This record gives sequence, C-alpha cells and structure tokens, in this order.
Amino acid sequence: MSGPAPKRSVEDLEKQLLKKNRDLNEKYLELETLLDLTNTINSLDDLDDLFFNVLTLSSSILNSSKGLILLKNEISNIFDPVSVFNLDEEKIKKQIFNARSGFLNKLESEMKSFIINKKDNFNNDLFDSQFSLISPIIYDKKLVGALILFDKETRSGLCDFTDNDLKLLEAISMQTSIAYQNIKLLESLLKSKKLNDNIMSSITTGIIEINLFGEIQFTNTEADRLLGKSKEEIIGNHYMILFEKNDQIIDLIQNVESLQKRVFENEFLLKSKSKKISVNISFSPVFDEKKEFSGIVIAIDDLSKINKIKSTFKKYVSKNIVDRLLENEDSLNLGGKESDVTILFSDIRGFTSMSEKLTPSEIVKILNKYFKSMIDVVFKYNGTLDKIVGDELMVLYGVPLKGEGDTINAVKTAIEMFKALDKFNEKIIKEGYEPLKIGIGINQGKAVSGNIGSEQQMNYTVIGDTINLGARLCSHAKSGEILISRSVKDLIGDEFNFKKTPTIEVKGKSKPIDVWLYKH
Amino acid sequence: MSNPIKNVQENNGVVIIATEGYFNNVAGDAVLEVFNQKLEEGKVNFLIDMSDSKVVNSIGVSILIEIIEKLQSVDGKLAFTNLASIVEKTFNIMGITKYCEVYDSVDSGVEKLS
Repeated sequence: MSGPAPKRSVEDLEKQLLKKNRDLNEKYLELETLLDLTNTINSLDDLDDLFFNVLTLSSSILNSSKGLILLKNEISNIFDPVSVFNLDEEKIKKQIFNARSGFLNKLESEMKSFIINKKDNFNNDLFDSQFSLISPIIYDKKLVGALILFDKETRSGLCDFTDNDLKLLEAISMQTSIAYQNIKLLESLLKSKKLNDNIMSSITTGIIEINLFGEIQFTNTEADRLLGKSKEEIIGNHYMILFEKNDQIIDLIQNVESLQKRVFENEFLLKSKSKKISVNISFSPVFDEKKEFSGIVIAIDDLSKINKIKSTFKKYVSKNIVDRLLENEDSLNLGGKESDVTILFSDIRGFTSMSEKLTPSEIVKILNKYFKSMIDVVFKYNGTLDKIVGDELMVLYGVPLKGEGDTINAVKTAIEMFKALDKFNEKIIKEGYEPLKIGIGINQGKAVSGNIGSEQQMNYTVIGDTINLGARLCSHAKSGEILISRSVKDLIGDEFNFKKTPTIEVKGKSKPIDVWLYKH
Repeated sequence: MSNPIKNVQENNGVVIIATEGYFNNVAGDAVLEVFNQKLEEGKVNFLIDMSDSKVVNSIGVSILIEIIEKLQSVDGKLAFTNLASIVEKTFNIMGITKYCEVYDSVDSGVEKLS
C-alpha cells in the first residue's frame, strides 16, 4: 500500500493557483485579441493597415519573436514582403521568394498552415530564427500570400510552435483572407465607380436616375446643366418637385412606372430654370436582379447645340449636306487636304455703273434679294457657299463633302441660276429697277481645302490654281454666258450643249486655255 | 534588432525606463536587468514609458509580473505611462493594472510616484 499523499504547503497551492489564474488570463487574452483582430481587420480598407495589424497582433497572441507577410506580385509571381515585424527589413527585401520550390511551393499545393521544418528548404539563417509557422492567404481559391511567424517565446527561451498555435494561426489567416478579399473587392468597386463617374461626367447626354420611391438618386454633370440646378438641389428630391414646371415629364414618368416600358420623346421642350431647351428625352425602367422594377433612368440629349450648328451651317451649305455631316462626322474634311473640287464663280456685269444710280440702301436691298434667289439654287444642287465678295459668288462642290456628280451639279446650278435671275429681273423691273446681268465660270481640278487663316480668324476655304482659273473664266464670261474649262467638259460630256470657243489667254498661264461656252 | 531600452533616467527618485519596439521576452529581460541593477542601488520606484512599444506579448507581461512581485517584497512601486490602447487592454486582462497605476504622461507619473 502506498502511504498518504504528501501534504502540499499553502504556499505551493497559492503558487499553483496563481499559475492557473495566469494561464486562464492568457487564454482570455488570446480570445480577446482574436476578437479584436477580427473586428479590426474587417473594418480596414487599406491592405498595408490590414497586414500590419494581422502581423503584430498574431505575433502578440502566439508569443512569436518576429513575423513576416509575403504577398504575391500578380505580374512577376514573386512573393514580396509587404509587412515585416521585428526582422531586418533591408535584408528580407533583398531576398526573392517564389512558389516554384520550398516552403511556398508546399503552401501553394497544400493550402493550409503548417509548422516549417528543415525538409521544407527554409532558410532559417535569413530570418535569424529556429522555429517557424506558416499560414496561407487565399483569394479566389488561389494562394496570394503567406503569413509567417518565427520562434515561439517562453520564459525559459525559444521553442517550436504547437498544434494549438497552428490552429490559432489558421483561424487568423482565414480571417485575413476574407478581409483581403473584401479590400480587393472594395478597390475594384471604387475603380469601377471612378470609371463610371468619369464616363458619366464626360458624356453629352444628361442622365437622371430615379429610385423606387421617386427620389432622384443620381445625376451627371450634363443633367445638372440642363436642369439648371446644382447637385445639392437635385439629389434626394422627389421627381414631382424636380419637374414641377414640367407636367408632361411627370406624366411620362408615371406612365413608365405603371407600364414599365421605355418611353421616348423627340424634340421635347424641357422647361429649365429660366429657359426652354429643345431635347430628345427617354425614360427607361430599371429592374433589379430579381427582375423587379426598381426605378427609372432618364436620358436627355440637348438639341439646342445641334440646332445651333445646323442653323449656322445652313447659311453656307445645303440642309442635305448638314444632315449628312451630322450623321457622319468622319466624312467631314476640315483639315488641310488636297481633293477634287469643282468651283463656280458668278459675277454681276456692269454692277458698278448700275450702283452709281442707286442709293446704298437700294443696293443692299437688291443684292440681298439677288443672292437669296441664287443661293437657293446653289443649295438645291448641294453646293457649298464659300464666300460672297461684293457682287461675286464663289461656290464649291466636292468639299467639305464629296458627292455624286459634283461637277454636273455645278453646271446645273449655273444654268438654273440664269432661270432664277430671269424671274428675279421680272420682279425688280416692275419695281422700276434695271435688270441684273451675270456671267459664270466653272472649273474642276485639285485644290487644297481646309481651315485657313490665323488663330483669331479662320475660314474654311479652298486655294490653288484650279480656283484661280475658275475666277478667270468667270471674268471672261460675258452677260448670260457660262464658261467652262476642259476638265469640266470632260466630266459632263455633251449633256448641256456647251460649244467649243476660241482659246483664251489668262493671267498666270503660259499657254492658251481651251474653253466651252453655254449661252442662256 | 535595436536595443529595446530607449533610455533610462531618474527624476525625484523615480527610475524612468523608456522602451522601444516589441515588448517581448527580449525587451522584458532588458527591463528586468535595468530594474535589478537599480534595485541593488536602492531604487524602489519605477515608471516604464511605453510610448514607443505598441505591441506586447504574454512573455513580456510575465516578466513585468516578476518585477511587480519583487517590488511588493521591498514596498516599492511600478507604474506605466503612454500605453497604447491595445497594450492597456492586455495589461488589464493579465491583471497587471490591479497592482500598478497607469499615467497619461511621464511628468504625472513622476509626480505621483515620488
């Protein structure tokens, strides 16, 4: 029989109690720190902060002497040290870590924490350590990083990590992986949002988003401008307030709300803060992932800019050309470029002597009526009015937009100009004025077209020999005559009954020029 | 690794030990060494300034407990100043703050201990 157990002294019991109490406190600290770590890392939105907190707190919980977090560079596939704790940072940064072999290779294939041993080809000298513990950071089922702790401390010196340490670190690295994933998703979301904001602010269509409750949730810069209000005045307001002056818009929104179908209105008058703007406006229902109605997006295109361009252009080119230019900007040739051009010049014969008999206001009145009737003909045949100098008209065909039968159109214009002039003359004769007489010259060939001038004043025009010869032909044409060059004749053939006339000498040309004549 | 003892000063009979970096067994042992030396010189009031030690582990804390036990036997006092919130929380859980005061600044610590 064994004797009675030796009596423990009160002092021994007290010491044991204190130790138990201390162990219990350590476990409590472990749990508290783990909870803190979870709360902390889930509230972070920066990777540097995340890794610093994970490394220092896990080192603290596991009593490790030092630690390191490696993160895989997506381009080089090298694992970079992104957070270093209690290690020689300069020395570590010079080392290349990859998953081709060694401990990272093992981590990548096993995807779970392990205590590193000598077989894992781990360079303990690099870290000046004896014992190491490693855990994966995983994103999208792939290894993206590693959390490594070194040398577990005890009061009696350093020791290897235990299975409990392994479990604890595994839990930390799982939390870290989730936090990493959240931060990456947030980054991606912010990037998409920024891209979306950039697109929205740069497009010329006004966008207004209305949520399910009828409140304005989003507007882009163009929408704010069209509505004539600041973002602060718009966002959060109900559409009934925003469009209080636009009953029709409210009706259309309510229509979309009930029918949940897209509605489109062309050339709609939007009542803005102080003006009415002509717009194309569409209302599209928005559906959530469950295909349930979740709001409306309004898209507004300001037509006033387009209309302004149209009306400005229409002074110089036909409506037909304006529409084609607006439909296809690429067809517009406004740079300095050599191209085939047909040029028509017309001039009033004897205008100087006639004008001496008229008052300035009578001259302006007659000239304006004359030019209007001539330009109507020009536009009918898609000519571009280059300029009016005094009583002379200069009209282009083939620029800025090349068309079918530009030269034939120029000739048709010239012939019809005489018919229009006859009608014009009939009217002014009745008013007691003398009839106007004109001569026309047409040439075709290469010319340089583009915006020519200085920064202060720039005009779209054409220059070159072809133009000069066109002007000379006009000055040779007598009243009621159209003179054309060989290039024009070659293109129109015999269609318009032009007759060959004796060659003419023109300034700047060494040889006489072949010309053909049409008499009205 | 850099020396975990940033500096040791005395003010009004209080030994002020400022630490730096991870307060683990290395830092704990370094503090213990300074403490033993000063205790032999007859100093019994100690203030540890941890403004540059934001991380501690339980081994570091256990060394601090050793110091507290020694001081209790000579009727001395240990106090802390400039604790990071996470360090203060650890001290609370480990029970250190039941036996030691925590002060906001070195000056207030010296004033109370001297």
